[in-house]
Amino acid sequence: MTTTSPDRPRQVPGRAPRRSGPVVQPQLDPRERERLESAFRVPRARFLLGVPMALVLLVWSFVGAEFDFLKLGEGAVNMGDFLSRMFPPTWDKLDVIVELLVETLQMAIVGTVLGAVLSLVVAFGASSNIAPRWLYYPTRWVMNVIRSLPDLVFALMFVSAVGLGPFAGILAMTIGSIGSIGKVFAEAMEAVDTGPVTAIQAAGASRRQVVQYGVLPQAGPLLVSYTLLLFEGNVRGATILGMVGAGGIGLELTTAMKMYDYGHLSAIVICIIVLVTLIDQASAIIRKRIT
Amino acid sequence: MTSPATGEVSAARLPLVSVRGLKVAYGDGPLVLDGVDLDLFPGELVALLGSSGSGKSTLMKCLTGFAPIDAGQVRVSGYDLTNLRRGQLRTVRASVGQVFQQFNLVGRLSVLTNVLTGALHDAGPINLSGRFTSAHRKHALERLDRVGIAHKATEQARTLSGGQQQRVAIARALMQRPQLILADEPVASLDPRMSHSVMDLLHEIAREDGIPVLVSLHELPLALAHSDRIVGLRHGEVLVCAPTHDLDAAGLDLLYARDDEDGDRDDDHVA
Repeated sequence: MTTTSPDRPRQVPGRAPRRSGPVVQPQLDPRERERLESAFRVPRARFLLGVPMALVLLVWSFVGAEFDFLKLGEGAVNMGDFLSRMFPPTWDKLDVIVELLVETLQMAIVGTVLGAVLSLVVAFGASSNIAPRWLYYPTRWVMNVIRSLPDLVFALMFVSAVGLGPFAGILAMTIGSIGSIGKVFAEAMEAVDTGPVTAIQAAGASRRQVVQYGVLPQAGPLLVSYTLLLFEGNVRGATILGMVGAGGIGLELTTAMKMYDYGHLSAIVICIIVLVTLIDQASAIIRKRIT
Repeated sequence: MTSPATGEVSAARLPLVSVRGLKVAYGDGPLVLDGVDLDLFPGELVALLGSSGSGKSTLMKCLTGFAPIDAGQVRVSGYDLTNLRRGQLRTVRASVGQVFQQFNLVGRLSVLTNVLTGALHDAGPINLSGRFTSAHRKHALERLDRVGIAHKATEQARTLSGGQQQRVAIARALMQRPQLILADEPVASLDPRMSHSVMDLLHEIAREDGIPVLVSLHELPLALAHSDRIVGLRHGEVLVCAPTHDLDAAGLDLLYARDDEDGDRDDDHVA
């Protein structure tokens, strides 16, 4: 048997007795042990301080937002009055509603596809495990700026740029989705298991190949799932964008409200509810299948 | 004469891997590897032993450029890893097949695709469709035949048992037509029977393909049963380096002698 240095003089002389004595194991502080063992724990200082602070914050917000139970009670009466006028719904303009709903759906589909593709591209730049530092920080910053602006602002911008109609709405949805799902896409890609990624790197793959074979297959189900959520959101969002003239059923909805055409209004609302529910259910089924 | 790096009478064969005076520290921490010398020759399976934190994983990482080299020389199949030109690192990595404790397969991809990822380095720069040539596919299926699980080729990798997954990982390594295989605790997640069969497979590959296979292990009996040579690390230094038939379990005990505080501190710095 060959050894390079069977007996290395590693030991410091002063420490020698410790090695021959019993093994000294790190001990849990007895007071900490007692605290962990008891069923009732004395709350820590940060808890005793944190709860009152949270309560103060809540009360402060209620006051600031002029929350008033009395007004809520009075309002409920008005609300009931409003709702009673919405029945029965009138279905004589059903063809208009269906046509506009289809347009809304089309807007949502195009906006989602464009948004998802763009978001994926941007997300590559915003994933710390893929992008280099010089790209990562600017991309994250741009996404934060986009996210801080409501879609309605983009809609107003694009309406003034390309005119009234669904095209402006689609552009608004596309840009808006970079802020919302670009971030979750990036986080889904950052959260993949690093083992397979390392293995593919170790096989001599390029950065792009590592993403294609190591990152995307692992993040795939999450990416699809988030895209479906984006689609659900865009269907609802498209109805709101219509209110500023960016296409979809929103304009018809606001017009009906202004004209006090309550029967028509309730027919529109019922149709939106049916559509959104159908899409939510369908996407829930798909998401369950893929994960 | 006896060479310090091989522990055997100097062979006529040239080493494929040659490590001289390798020193590694992570950040300002203590040295994880402290002057390691090691040669690996074609056709031998070398077992790398040592307690946790002794530097086994770091040594393996140094051979593929996954750990920083502070001092010393590392040569792998003709390339000097401390002095690589741009783009050469990928070439070196492509020539080294790696096997991991957790198999590291992409669970949602099929077994065949996982093996094919071993050929990515010569799949060409344009492969956006993810299509490999039929020559690649034929080659991959042959690798699966060799490790004995070609019948699972179309299944998702995550549905296989641990031993089967490790065989797929070995097939992926073979797909690289490697000049060297590194296996970092390849059987630590497997039961004893599986462990022996995976070690048999690795030993067979070393002999038949005439390539060095370096395997880090925690279990002495496995190392004694399946290796040609044993290298033992302790505190980042080579303590044992000898042909397996010259060694027995008692002689290797010094690798696992109880640590003082130094040992605990070393542990913290090795992932």
